[in-house]
Amino acid sequence: MELLDRYLQAVRKHLPWKRQDDIVAELKANLEAQLEDKEAALGRPLTNEEAMDWLKQLGSPLQMAAPYQTQQYLIGPTIFPTYRYVLQLACTWAVVINIIVSVIKIATEDNTSPAAMFGALQHVPFTLLMTAAWVTLIFVVIEYAVAHSKTKWMPPTAPSAGWSPAELPPLEKGEGAGQKPRSFAHAVTEVIFGFLFLAWWLLVPRHPYLLIGPGVLYWHASPFQLAPISVLFYWWVVGVNVVQLAWRSADLIRGSWPRPRTAQTIVVSAIGLIPLGLLLSVPDHAYVLLRNPALDQARYGAALTSINLSIHWSAAVICAITVLRLVWEIGRMSLDAYRKRAAAAQ
Amino acid sequence: MTITENLFENLRLELRRGCLTLAVLAQLRQERYGYTLRKALAERGLEIDESTLYPLLRRLEAQGLLASEWREEEKRNKRFYRLSSDGEQIFDQLLKEWQAINTSINSIL
Repeated sequence: MELLDRYLQAVRKHLPWKRQDDIVAELKANLEAQLEDKEAALGRPLTNEEAMDWLKQLGSPLQMAAPYQTQQYLIGPTIFPTYRYVLQLACTWAVVINIIVSVIKIATEDNTSPAAMFGALQHVPFTLLMTAAWVTLIFVVIEYAVAHSKTKWMPPTAPSAGWSPAELPPLEKGEGAGQKPRSFAHAVTEVIFGFLFLAWWLLVPRHPYLLIGPGVLYWHASPFQLAPISVLFYWWVVGVNVVQLAWRSADLIRGSWPRPRTAQTIVVSAIGLIPLGLLLSVPDHAYVLLRNPALDQARYGAALTSINLSIHWSAAVICAITVLRLVWEIGRMSLDAYRKRAAAAQ
Repeated sequence: MTITENLFENLRLELRRGCLTLAVLAQLRQERYGYTLRKALAERGLEIDESTLYPLLRRLEAQGLLASEWREEEKRNKRFYRLSSDGEQIFDQLLKEWQAINTSINSIL
């Protein structure tokens, strides 16, 4: 029957090439036997329309051939949990390393403009894409090797005799992860210490020994003085602490102190970035100046540069840590919100 | 197809998959080729599409549960399958498992 031969020819094109002849020969024998039965029941050969209906019932050539393919996926269910875990780990580390390298690059190139920072962030999506592509490629190769090896392979995530519950990591901090809510005493202590810190910080300009102790005598005798930016920085620190203290006091008054503080941490971290940004944007890193530059430049110039660079680097590192913390908290809050929405939708 | 129908179809196929393997192994305690096996299963009320049964036979053979040979019958070369010795052992175990599940399900229902 020509139509059946044409059908088998089309099926052959979608079969694994090594077994095409064998599979087609078997299919042909089975389908011809089926055809003979049909014709015997009718007492005549099938008409063209009947033959077409029969072949339609068998399914398209692609449908018929597809189940003969041994591997239908790039990363199968056995290896997929490991793939997902490694992908998450690799992407997280890729972003962290990328940010650290960018911060170091910006600091060494002495270019802390917003454009330079935005330029550094632009690399993050590309880094993520490349990391995901490489991890996926490696796992596709592993899947292929495992699927084509004779020995049975168990993924590392599969339960094994060597696994022990004692190796489980400790409970993570955070909402829903087993952490106890803050107690009232804890919340009150935080507010009291917040007020004490603010009072101490406000007294420092008039009584600098509260900050550097006896060192104040050396400071007054030294050829150095703080640049005007220090005043602005000082008042920004006051502002950040006032916001934090007001928020915590409001929590205490409203009785909402046991609730998680993710939003508060995000806002405070974001405001905290402003004084750090101010410090990083100071021209020539002039945080400390000479009282008498004309007299002392030759003698103390090198020491002054060294002090200013140290302050600049410290501010850059603190800024990087604050940005990472901010990104982490935003990510965590978004994930929690997504989980809650998904749970509500279900 | 609605979502409910689609869900039912997926669950039905999942439920059938294991049962089909057991039925095929049971029928191949006696040697058969693809088409006669399909007819024998259909006569006992278990219809299987060609595109499901014939590749299944290949997979079971690759797993060592079936043995096959090409032989001429009625002037046509056909591939005959039968249960291998490993297949017989596994079939016995699967049958016991099936009977235990069946008993449990019946008592649950």
